[in-house]
Amino acid sequence: MRTTLRLNQSRLGLLAVTLVFSATFAIFAQGFLSDFNLFTLLRFAAVQIVIAFGQMIALSAGEMNLSLGAIGGAVAMCTGGLMEVFQLSPFLAIPIGLALGAAMGSMNGILVVRTGINSFVITLATASVFTGLMLAITQADSYDALPEAFLTFSRIRVLGFPVSPLVLVMLAAAVLLWLLYTKTTLGREILAVGANRRAAAMSGVNVGATLIKTQMLSGLLAGLAGIMTAAMLADAVPRIGMDWMLGSFAIAVIGGTAITGGSVSVGGAIIGGFLVAGITNGVLLLNVSNFFVNLFLGLILLLAVSLDRIRSVAMTRMSLGARK
Amino acid sequence: MSQSTTLERSRRSLSRLSEYSWAGLLAMATVLVIIMSVVSDSFLSDFNIFVVLRSVATAALIGAAQMTVLSIGQMNLSVGAIGGLVAITAGGIMDAYGLPGWLAITGGLACGAACGALNGLIVARTGINAFIVTIATASIFLGLTLGITEAQPYYNLDPGYTAFGQARLGFFPLMGFITLATLGILAVFFYRTLVGRQILAVGGNLSAAETAGIPVGRRVVWAHVISGLLAGGAGMLWASQLGAAQPMIGQSWLLISFAVPIIGGVALTGGSVRIIGLLLAALIIALIDNSLVHLGVDPFYVELLLGLFILGTVYASHVATRSGNPKRSLR
Repeated sequence: MRTTLRLNQSRLGLLAVTLVFSATFAIFAQGFLSDFNLFTLLRFAAVQIVIAFGQMIALSAGEMNLSLGAIGGAVAMCTGGLMEVFQLSPFLAIPIGLALGAAMGSMNGILVVRTGINSFVITLATASVFTGLMLAITQADSYDALPEAFLTFSRIRVLGFPVSPLVLVMLAAAVLLWLLYTKTTLGREILAVGANRRAAAMSGVNVGATLIKTQMLSGLLAGLAGIMTAAMLADAVPRIGMDWMLGSFAIAVIGGTAITGGSVSVGGAIIGGFLVAGITNGVLLLNVSNFFVNLFLGLILLLAVSLDRIRSVAMTRMSLGARK
Repeated sequence: MSQSTTLERSRRSLSRLSEYSWAGLLAMATVLVIIMSVVSDSFLSDFNIFVVLRSVATAALIGAAQMTVLSIGQMNLSVGAIGGLVAITAGGIMDAYGLPGWLAITGGLACGAACGALNGLIVARTGINAFIVTIATASIFLGLTLGITEAQPYYNLDPGYTAFGQARLGFFPLMGFITLATLGILAVFFYRTLVGRQILAVGGNLSAAETAGIPVGRRVVWAHVISGLLAGGAGMLWASQLGAAQPMIGQSWLLISFAVPIIGGVALTGGSVRIIGLLLAALIIALIDNSLVHLGVDPFYVELLLGLFILGTVYASHVATRSGNPKRSLR
């Protein structure tokens, strides 16, 4: 009971910070609330949030996925190649791409479980394997003649609002994740494995199978984010995914997912994603040299984790005091 | 009495020898050299050996920067970002202010130490996971690097500074001496000094170290400062080798920084350092990289093969430690 309350409070704080930033940008950054800017901002945020979902699911099981970007890039290139070179319809190419993402994720999971090596090391190495394979196959060429149906999907506006269908894709993924964590056994098992692996194993959870499924879902989400990025850029370029690492951890952690595992916050990740995307966008509009964007994102991440730390220390002190 | 002590000592040195599992790495490096010298004529040329050893020199320092933080059971994801920031700081001192090389190097090292101190202080004071802290500071350092340089390299460096990157004695690069001296100092530091032993104790068992009265927070800061210095040193060597202070220096270091210490036998859980293993791991990675170029392998496959190789060696060393030390598998 208390934990749910605490999580809600922390999300409210995050929401407040996001609103303060948005209001500041709306006043000081010209064009922040323009139709065009809102459209690109929301679309960018949607992709960032799906990337963060991929990391969040791994973190919730006490794992990491450093190959998120490599999988996203490989899936984007695979889907792009199927559509451009093999003339496949997007309805066929996208499921194949997603299956590839899930397969790569499963491979990570199987390697982690079978070898017993830290997922950090495994996914760091497989990232290099996946990227190398993708570059060798594509020879680092991009696929920019993608079918019209695929491209318009990211450009149309839902019911005339400045909202790309990609935002709806993100929301659909969020609902599915929320259902996974609140309504399914697998979701509870992932959290149990993340919170205390030994206790989970002793209460009959198949830890190995859960970890493989976790990494598979993480790979699937990375693949989805890769395809969304290709649609957003209107181009499947090998560079996709190379700069995902910071954002994936930052958004998940700012949203309230603990890096130590056992906790998750889908709603927090969504707000965190809007905060990060809003800051990136607002700083650019304020005409601050865009080279400093990284600096701001780093500071925001530090600030968010420090505030979270201060709050949790204060909470422990309060509850200790109450007990006395 | 004296007999049992000798026996104990010899047993200890034997177990220490097996702990230093670098014999396998040495064998691997030797086999690679033999195969390549047969396959390719130019492999054993002075210049090629120089090229290989020069990349060993930087890779070993990058790996050492990560190893120092791994030794306290933490990670430093900002090794590359510190390397880049230090490289352009030293470059900027020479290019924008026209100051001599030695002043630039001093400034660069101070910058590296400051970056490390920032990491260490945040981790030690707040208790936030070092992984998250260094991801955040990596972004901050990269932002500073790009903001200061506006993504333009500094070209007007001290001629001595850039000449050093190309200088060699026969086949041996001069920068190799810097790496060897640094690793020597690190070995003495970790094996012979109180602070070094205390750092390893913190990594081995945090609560035991705390109970024993070791100032844990200060040792954590020490480890991060040393890591920053090493990363900065690697960044400046890299710049002197390129002949320009590129803002993108360090952006490709993440995999190498972990691969070198892990292949060298450093445990991710902390409490150990491997100086010779580190050097041999850097040598093997440089040899593989160089061999693939000589064999005319598509450069895109190099990354793939490097990833597979790291997976393989990590697994092999994992199996070796598990079978060799039954206590370990219980953890």
